Amino acid sequence: MKKSSGRALAFAILVAVFSAGASAQVTVSPPGRLLASNCFQCHGTNGKGPGFERLAGKSANELFSEMKEFQSGKEGDNIMARHVSGFSDAQLRALAQWLSTQR
Amino acid sequence: MQRRSFLWNSAAVGLMTLPQLARADDDSKRKKGDLKNQKPSTASAPIAPPAVPRARVIVIGGGMAGASVAKYLRLWGNAVDVTLVERNPQYLSNIMSSLVLTGQRTMSSLTFGYELLKSRYGVRVVFGDVVEVDPVRARVRLATGAWLEADRIVMAPGIEFDAVPGLDDVNLMPHAWKAGAQTTLLAKQLAAMPANGVAVLTIPKAPYRCPPGPYERACLIADWMKANKPRAKLIVLDGNLDIVTEKDNFSQAIFGLHANVIDYRTSVEISSVDTRQMMVYTNYGAIKADVVNLIPTQRAGGLVASTGIATANGGRFAPVDVLSYASTVAPNLHVIGDSSATTQPKAGHIANQEAKVCADAMARTFEGQSPDAAPVTNSACYSTITRTQASWLTAVFQYDPVARVMVPVAASAAASVGWKSGNFKQMNQWFDALMADTFA
Repeated sequence: MKKSSGRALAFAILVAVFSAGASAQVTVSPPGRLLASNCFQCHGTNGKGPGFERLAGKSANELFSEMKEFQSGKEGDNIMARHVSGFSDAQLRALAQWLSTQR
Repeated sequence: MQRRSFLWNSAAVGLMTLPQLARADDDSKRKKGDLKNQKPSTASAPIAPPAVPRARVIVIGGGMAGASVAKYLRLWGNAVDVTLVERNPQYLSNIMSSLVLTGQRTMSSLTFGYELLKSRYGVRVVFGDVVEVDPVRARVRLATGAWLEADRIVMAPGIEFDAVPGLDDVNLMPHAWKAGAQTTLLAKQLAAMPANGVAVLTIPKAPYRCPPGPYERACLIADWMKANKPRAKLIVLDGNLDIVTEKDNFSQAIFGLHANVIDYRTSVEISSVDTRQMMVYTNYGAIKADVVNLIPTQRAGGLVASTGIATANGGRFAPVDVLSYASTVAPNLHVIGDSSATTQPKAGHIANQEAKVCADAMARTFEGQSPDAAPVTNSACYSTITRTQASWLTAVFQYDPVARVMVPVAASAAASVGWKSGNFKQMNQWFDALMADTFA
């Protein structure tokens, strides 16, 4: 009994170590980054310019509400209003979240 | 084993081109002035290719699609070794190149080098011609005879023109649809035409590179003619049934603003030309002109067809899985940009985004993961309606998992209502940003 639970523990540790290793690998494409890369053509790689308004490092809430404002038409019928209208709210939140992590 | 030895052969070929390291000094001297104006955080030490690559990719073609995929594979991939093979030492941008025709842009303002892809991202750049692609072993043969081997190949060779009967000297009726010597040549021919002369611009049957491009060029030349060739005419021969994109703006410009200059005709097929007589023969008769901007129908770069993967559009373009841009014929090959057959327009801005989707998919694949199941791309551009005013056109594309194609989102697919000078200024800002995201 004792022996087998020891083995189970060792196995559990092994699994934990392996899955930790695996989870380090799965960050190859962080959530929101590929979506956010649709912004880079006009706002620079990683939202850091050169280009229109810098996006990197703004809070996710601020970015999201700015994009919703464009979507609502409050900023007029401009290219940005149309552009943000192509994304779902979930997509806008995901890309805003990723951009907020950029410094 | 053989594979490994090819890898080192390819590294050696990469190094063989590096006698240009001598030039790197000159580059750094030239850039010192610029660095003063940059924030210190943007200046970083050169990045080398990975010492122990997990995967190797060869990118064929250093245009908008190829340069972007090389950069983003290095930025996003986990130790992915990237070799970009390009024919020309520098890239000349097609975007904005019609402004060279009106004297508003210089070719040097449209010139982009590959130095930053090398120094900032560790892309290996090989200047040479690829003459053969082996889709099974994922290797390419250069004109020098050397083979480069990789795990995946990205083909981004752009477009090629169909032959036009009678076009014995392309410089006598330039397309100027790939920026370069023909662009400056067409500018000279326009400048030299008589004040009451006739110019012809032909629009190829779709699909072709940059759907609004020929219409914006026609508008721009018409505006330029009003000031410089006051009695001249521009005959636009459209191979399509109607204006193919941004119909409201281009209709108002062609039939309104520029109606006294532009003679626009649809469904015109060019049967042949005579460069000595400057004649264009069509299904609606013959036209004599002083200047002919002959933009022929188009197909994927020749390498795509010779590799046997151009099976869409009647053998013109390469069908791809838009989750990864892998060829549906040869899955080791990816095709991005104007050579691929998708529901997206053939243009530089969206080619940059196709490249990012392709790079992300490959980075995941090399780690044993599946591509993003819901990729999004976007197209955006500005069109010159006059020499100082522009319109805009945009669309976001979402993946449809049932039809397995990219579908434009209705609410996002739109053009400006009319044109204005503010858009023209934004166009310059957009261009600078887009080119930096691609080459810097």
